[in-house]
Amino acid sequence: MSRSARRRPRHRRPWGSYAVVVAGAVLTLVPFLDMLLTSFKGPGEYGKLPYRFLPQAFDLSNYRAAMEQLNLPLLFRNSVIATAVITGSILVTSALAGYALAKLHFPGREVIFRLVLSTMMFPPFLFFIPHFLILVHWPGAGGNDLLGRGGAGLTVSLAALVMPFLVSGFGIFLMRQFMISIPDELLEAARIDGAGEFALWWRIVLPQTKPVAVTLALLTFVNAWNEYIWALLISTANPRLMTLPVGIQMLQSYLDPDRMVPVMMAGLVLSILPVLLLFLLLQKHYLRGVMLSGLK
Amino acid sequence: MASAGGGPVRAARRRQTAVAYLFLTPALLFFAVFLALPLLFAVLLAQSRWAGFDLADIEPVGMANFTDLFARGSTFLTPVLTNTLLYAVGTVAIALLGALTLATCINNLRFQGLWRTLSFLPIVTTVVAVGNVWKYLYAPGGLINGALNGLGLHSVAFLQDPGTALPSVVVVQAWASMGTAILILTAGLKSIPEAYYEAAELDGAGAGTIFRRITLPLLRPSLLFVCITQFITGLQSFALINVMTDDGGPGDATNVAALEMYQQAFKYGDWGIASAAAFVLFLVIVAITVGQLWLFRRKGGES
Repeated sequence: MSRSARRRPRHRRPWGSYAVVVAGAVLTLVPFLDMLLTSFKGPGEYGKLPYRFLPQAFDLSNYRAAMEQLNLPLLFRNSVIATAVITGSILVTSALAGYALAKLHFPGREVIFRLVLSTMMFPPFLFFIPHFLILVHWPGAGGNDLLGRGGAGLTVSLAALVMPFLVSGFGIFLMRQFMISIPDELLEAARIDGAGEFALWWRIVLPQTKPVAVTLALLTFVNAWNEYIWALLISTANPRLMTLPVGIQMLQSYLDPDRMVPVMMAGLVLSILPVLLLFLLLQKHYLRGVMLSGLK
Repeated sequence: MASAGGGPVRAARRRQTAVAYLFLTPALLFFAVFLALPLLFAVLLAQSRWAGFDLADIEPVGMANFTDLFARGSTFLTPVLTNTLLYAVGTVAIALLGALTLATCINNLRFQGLWRTLSFLPIVTTVVAVGNVWKYLYAPGGLINGALNGLGLHSVAFLQDPGTALPSVVVVQAWASMGTAILILTAGLKSIPEAYYEAAELDGAGAGTIFRRITLPLLRPSLLFVCITQFITGLQSFALINVMTDDGGPGDATNVAALEMYQQAFKYGDWGIASAAAFVLFLVIVAITVGQLWLFRRKGGES
């Protein structure tokens, strides 16, 4: 990847390739452009035929309307907390487990490593129902008794948004693969100097792991920020837990039909801006993560 | 490694085992509660009738949920499962062809990073944005119908007409997933040694021959990888459909298995049927993945 410059373009005038790639770029960008331009259209302007790509005036009132309709502080707070907790937890648990599987010798290591790999096989939809039920029947929470009966359990607390995502088999795998290449001599030397195992992990292993940690953090951040189906489920149980994507989807149902589409587009622009900026800033790390995982 | 010895080495070993399990505890606890327990629960529910609420009301019914799913008059096999397959096949076909074309062309150009970054914008965007933007692009007063009218063509009710609804959603899913495919295929293209191309050019081979005889065969592993992963994604995804057509409408025209599972559980409260549907879909995914591996292996030796 990093040595992509080594190959010169084979054809001296790759006009055909230019045409195809520019067409692809236009097809990719037009929906985003239309979203942005529609978000500036005034009342009644969207939906009139013939279609006009450009707004008559750059009207910012849709953004104001989106902010008024949405409880943006709440939505942002929920999205930020959920994303931060998930990303932090996956980073820490992956770095801990990955180190144990890569560098420590103990009985059961191979079995546990295979178990971690197998967790990536199961598709998420298999877990929607049981996860929801486990949170509903969480013992002693949200009015439940110790057998998990009687209340709404954890589904009404912020924990519900994050709990099913706190550990990632892929994250552990990624960390383990990376940490394997840390030289054993480095660790042995530190052990001989009397470093405890935790200090070893914190002072020697973690600093070495920075590049892969950035990649994993970014990948997790984008996924968590964009998560929709689970958040929809949890916000249905408790609207106070609504996240940004769910809130914007809800915009459809309670707006003046004359302005619904432009206001919604304004909300969408606001919601994807943080992730888009982060991606554009750190895209190298993100793309490496996608390469490593192969899946979104 | 330290040389084998007496007590201190064994004590160090024991200490390392304790530390390792301490480091693994969070992950293992999580997998016990959010992986093993849910799987057991799902198996149990798939063989039960249950309307939610009190766990004591779970009533075992054996395989009845599965026979119900495939009973006469059930919509699960057709159109739901058929839609799921069409959705996945359509998405993979469009995304793979598009990505192969674009990746090959990008590889001929300068500023490759720029083009790849562009192709990734849909992937880092939330499904709520992708779904809604396209929903209104398809709308009667939206950009696409505006363009059709501009060309003197009639409007199309893309998402409202049962005949066009599924293909319309397929296009969006393909549009949204092409970036990953481009990235992986590009990596595959870069790993093909330049010497092969030079030799072929010296032999006077044309661009088409080079593509068919060198690029495609050597790209096999990447193609297989993209094919399998995108098939799995296509078979299990329903968030986009949920955003674009809400409940899989019109009628069941865009209803797919994972959406059906979701609705049976959270809308109709039929948890047993929903869990059974999830297992059937899981088996379909496993079967199709194994089938693809077998097909690729049989047609092209190792990979």
